[in-house]
Amino acid sequence: MAALGRYLTLLACLVSASGAQAAKISALIFGADAKPLPNAVVVAVPEEGHPPPIGKVVEVVDQIDKEFVPYVKPIRAGSYVQFPNKDNIRHHVYSFSPAKIFELPLYKGTPSQPVLFDKPGVIKLGCNIHDWMIGYLYVAETPYFGKTAGDGRVDLDELPAGRYQVRVWHPRMEGSEDATVTRVDLEEATPAVVEWTLKLNPEYRPQRTPLPGEPGYR
Amino acid sequence: MRVSLVSVKPMTRLRRRSNLIRLTISCLFCLVTLASSPARGEWGFDATGGFAYDDNLSNGFEAVDRKADTAAVVDLSAGLYEPIGGSSTLGLSLLAHGDAYFHYTGLDNVGLGARAQLRTKFGLGPRAPWLVIAAQGMYHDYQYRYQDGWQYEAGATLGTQLNERWLLRGFTRYDAYVASQTQPPLIPGMVGSPYDVYGWNLGAQTTFLATGVDRLSLSYTWRTGTVTSVTQPDAEILEYSDRAAPDPVFGSGGIAYRINANTQTIGIGWSHTLGQRTAVDFLYAYRWSQPQSDLGQYYANLISLTFTYSY
Repeated sequence: MAALGRYLTLLACLVSASGAQAAKISALIFGADAKPLPNAVVVAVPEEGHPPPIGKVVEVVDQIDKEFVPYVKPIRAGSYVQFPNKDNIRHHVYSFSPAKIFELPLYKGTPSQPVLFDKPGVIKLGCNIHDWMIGYLYVAETPYFGKTAGDGRVDLDELPAGRYQVRVWHPRMEGSEDATVTRVDLEEATPAVVEWTLKLNPEYRPQRTPLPGEPGYR
Repeated sequence: MRVSLVSVKPMTRLRRRSNLIRLTISCLFCLVTLASSPARGEWGFDATGGFAYDDNLSNGFEAVDRKADTAAVVDLSAGLYEPIGGSSTLGLSLLAHGDAYFHYTGLDNVGLGARAQLRTKFGLGPRAPWLVIAAQGMYHDYQYRYQDGWQYEAGATLGTQLNERWLLRGFTRYDAYVASQTQPPLIPGMVGSPYDVYGWNLGAQTTFLATGVDRLSLSYTWRTGTVTSVTQPDAEILEYSDRAAPDPVFGSGGIAYRINANTQTIGIGWSHTLGQRTAVDFLYAYRWSQPQSDLGQYYANLISLTFTYSY
């Protein structure tokens, strides 16, 4: 059944891609169980030329019901990110990731200044009050990226013709992102379809519910 | 030594009920005061319900004195947790507890109380060690009125997440139970309040995240202090105790007595997360007490299955 769904998704991808006017890459990501994989980031890096410069871009990662929303947010290097707290309690957002070490001490509402992310890489977000809160920023060195939806698919539109190195990243993927690199020659009005199957590691988060007789995180 | 049972006039049911009502009103007043305060803290609510089995409720030494039963148990906690500075949180919560036994209904009880705690985290991130200093008091109203009283606990817990799957915590705690009423002496020179107990606890617990939703735990507690047991009249046992009183909960003619003992408890648990806020927990514990006298060892097997909702 999962295999049938996989082929139907691939067929839909090809049909929609063939009708497009601009060049694009349609990516399909599946887990090892053949189920579509959401929250995977697909990045296309042109082998030649320079990507257009980035203006001031402010992205948003919310905190809603003691979770980061969205769970995975791809952004381009040089973007700013606001971290609005939409809960009626305080959060304490931080990251230890080498690509950006920062801390937003206890706050409610929206911090006055967004945070600049100018170095490509993966940034793992946490809240120092609610340890189970985990989110990811994927900072891409290229403007050509996207995140898979629930159907495991993402379309990278409006790509100039040329040769690209395309890769995929997921928070729970086994192995390195570099191992997924595939080369795609993209011609004007000729869409390409790429597909990956990723093995996933289990996710271990601090649990939200306390053990009996324990106050938990509070 | 001859033991004679003495009938005594207990505190009236009406008076006990009015104590509980006053306590309930005080708790509600605290809750309303907290709710209307300018604090910007986080409200928390935990509810746990399920069943608990104890194969030696009476803490009996002889086989004939060992009484087993299962209780439906409920624990509720609602509180406000106010961050202080960047790394500490002060929590004030109201507690409610209830036990309803299938057979030994004299142990049925409801409890109301409060807890204060200060939690400090030494650094950023889930692996930063933390310390919780807490004190709580709860008044229990038992079906068997002479067990009514205040239960107190105060202690500290130090914990750290060793890695993403292992958590380790150690604790020390002082506990005391002070019964509201003292029965007349059963034996001349012996105080009639065997339910007044106290003890120091030291323990450790480790938790292992077996899957993304399953936690296994292993705990050990060592306690030194006093414990209460119930027996049929036994002159030898009473020679080692300093307090005793009639206790009909497990049958007529029973006597509750207090002795000094070192108690150890080892527990294994499994907690399965059902959703963001709910979990089902299974716990097995083996508890054994070694009296600080020539009496033999007391032991018990404890099993509980509970469901927890946490907001």
